Amino acid sequence: MTPDPISALMPLVYEELRRIAAGYIRHERPGQTLQATALVNEAFVRLASERPRPFVDRQHFLAIAALSMRQILVQRARARKAAKRGGAPQRVTLDEHLMSAAPPDIDVLALDEALTRLTALDPEQARIVELRYFGGLTVEETADVVGVSPATVKRQWAMARAWLKRAVDSAPADGSDGHQ
Amino acid sequence: MTREQWERLKVLFHGVLEQPVEKRQEWLTLHAHGDDVLAREAEALLLAHDTVGDFLESPAVVDPAEFADLDELRSGMRIGSYEIDQEIGRGGMGIVYLARDLQLGRQVALKALSRLHDGNTSLRERMRREARAAATISHPAIATVYALEEIDGRLIIASEYIEGHSLRSEIERGPLEPTRALAVAIDIAGALSAAHDAGVVHRDLKPENVLITTTGAVKVVDFGIAHVENVNTRLTKEGDVIGTPAYMAPEQLIGGAIDGRADLYAVGVILTEMLTGQHPLAPGRRPMPVAASEVAWRCIQNDPADRYPSARDLLAALERAKTSDAGRESFTSTSSPSTRWWWEFHQAAASVVYAVMVWPTWLARNVIGGQQGNAIFIVVLAAAIVAVTLRLHLWFTSRFYPAELEWARARAMAWMLASNTVFLMGLVVAGALVGDARPVLAVIEIAVAVGAGAAFTVVEPATTKAAFGQPRRL
Repeated sequence: MTPDPISALMPLVYEELRRIAAGYIRHERPGQTLQATALVNEAFVRLASERPRPFVDRQHFLAIAALSMRQILVQRARARKAAKRGGAPQRVTLDEHLMSAAPPDIDVLALDEALTRLTALDPEQARIVELRYFGGLTVEETADVVGVSPATVKRQWAMARAWLKRAVDSAPADGSDGHQ
Repeated sequence: MTREQWERLKVLFHGVLEQPVEKRQEWLTLHAHGDDVLAREAEALLLAHDTVGDFLESPAVVDPAEFADLDELRSGMRIGSYEIDQEIGRGGMGIVYLARDLQLGRQVALKALSRLHDGNTSLRERMRREARAAATISHPAIATVYALEEIDGRLIIASEYIEGHSLRSEIERGPLEPTRALAVAIDIAGALSAAHDAGVVHRDLKPENVLITTTGAVKVVDFGIAHVENVNTRLTKEGDVIGTPAYMAPEQLIGGAIDGRADLYAVGVILTEMLTGQHPLAPGRRPMPVAASEVAWRCIQNDPADRYPSARDLLAALERAKTSDAGRESFTSTSSPSTRWWWEFHQAAASVVYAVMVWPTWLARNVIGGQQGNAIFIVVLAAAIVAVTLRLHLWFTSRFYPAELEWARARAMAWMLASNTVFLMGLVVAGALVGDARPVLAVIEIAVAVGAGAAFTVVEPATTKAAFGQPRRL
C-alpha cells in the first residue's frame, strides 16, 4: 500500500502540465511552442500556490516534472511515427508546424533510447540530462536536485552530451521502436 | 561496456579535457595504460565532445496542442467490447468515457489509463492491484467496479455509470443545509469505512468524486484507481485555487506513505466546503456549525496521528455532530451558546485566581525564608504562569478561533493537569509551612488550594461537558 512517490505524484504533475498546455491553446496564439523551462516553472508555481501551505517540495517536483516531460515527448514522437507508418494522417498541420518551430531537430526516440542505456552505465549522468534537457533546469537547479556541486553537474553534463551525441548519431535514422 | 570500464572512461575523459589540445593524444595513450579499447572509446568521446555543437543545449520544446489530446478516443469508436459514447472526465491518470458494454447491453464508465503511463510499470501494477481490491468492495455508496481490461496494452477499468450530478456542482450553488451536509459526509465516511476495511484507500477524494444520483443517494467514485476530474468543471472555474492538491493530505502531497487517514483529511476539506463554500484554510472563512467545524478541524490536521484513527471513528464523530448541531443554531464565529460562555468564564476566572494567589505565596516565602521559601515560591510562580497561559490561550481560541478549540484543548490537556497539580500542591505546602507563624495566611493558602482543586475536579468537568457534550478525558 505504499506506492513509490514518483508514480504517485506523476499524475498530479502531468495534470498540471496538461492544464497549462490547455490554457495556452485557449489564450495564446495557436501553434506557439513552449520551452520545457517555462512549462515546468509555471507548473511549479501553480501547484505550489494551490496549497495554502508550502507542502510542495521543489526539488522533488522538478525531478518528476522532468520525467513527465520526457514521457510526454517520447509518447508524442511514438504516436507521430505510428501515424506516419500508415495510421490516420490526422495531425499533419501540427507536425508541419512543429518542424518549423522546433529549433534543433532532435530525434526524441533515439535520445530516449540512448538515455535509457546511459542510465544503466551512469544513473547520475542520465538524471542530469533528464533534468537539464527535458526539465529545462539550469545547472544550479540541477545541482540542487541531484545533490552535487554545480561544477560536477557541468563536468558530467559535458560527458553525457558527448556520449549521447555519439549514441544518437550512430543510431539508424528510423530505428527500431524505443524500448523501455 | 561494464560499469567498471565506464568509471575508468570517466576518469580518462575528465582528465584529458584538462590537458592543452596538443597534448591530449599523448596524455590519453599514457593514461590508458595499454587498454586500447578504452583509449579509442575516450578518443571518440573527445571527438564527439568537440563537435557536439548545440546538441541538447536548449531545453526540449513542446507544442501545447500536442499533449492536450494525447489519449483521445472518439465517440463511436469500439475498444474491446465497448463502444465509446462521450468523454465525461479527464485528469492526470487518463480519461473517463461513458461507453456501452455491447455484450451486456448496459452503460459503463470506462477509465482509460493515459498512454503517458505506458512505461510506468509500478503505476500499472498498482492500478491493477487496486482495481482488484476495489472490485471486492460492495457498498451502496460506492460505484461498483465491473471489470479490469487490457486492450492493446492499454489498461482500462469498467465501472458502474452513475447518472446524477457531482457534489461539486451542488457546492457551487451555495452552502448546503447543515443537516444535509452532515448526512452527505456520513455517507462518505461510511463508504470509506467499507473501502478501508477492504484495504483500499481512495487517495483522491474531492467533491467531483462524490456523485449525487437522480434519486438523491450519495455515490463515491474512483476508488484508489484512475483518478480524474471533470474537465468541464475545471474550465468554468478558470483561475480558481481549488484543485486536487487542496484535498490532499500533506503526507500524500510530499509523496510519503499514506493510509486511510489521508482520505479523512479530504473529508474535512469537503465538509467545510459543503457548509461554507470555502477551503478550511481559506482566510476569513465564513462561519459554520460548531460541532461540524470541530470534526472538520480534526480531519485536516497535518500529522495523520492527530486525525481520527479510522473512518469508523470519523463516522461516529459525524453522527454525534449531527445530533449536537441539529439542536442549536450555533455558528463558530457568531454568538457562542451559553454553555460555552460558562466554560469561557471558568477559564477566565481560574486565570484570575491563579494570578492573584502568587501574592500570598510571596508573603509565605518571606515567612518561610531561605532556600526552601524561594523554591516553593518559584515552583508556584512557574506553575501559575503555565496554567494561566494555557487557560487564556483556550479562552482566546474559544472566542476567536472556535474551530480549533477541540484541538487546542486536546493539546493543552497534559500541561494543564500538570501545572494545576503542581500549583495546588505548592499552595498546600506553603500554607502548611507558615501555619504556626501566620495562621491567617495559612488558611488562605490552603482554602484556595482546596477550592481550586474542587473547581478543577468537579466544576470544570461539568462546564466542559455542558459546552462540548462529552467529559474531558483526564
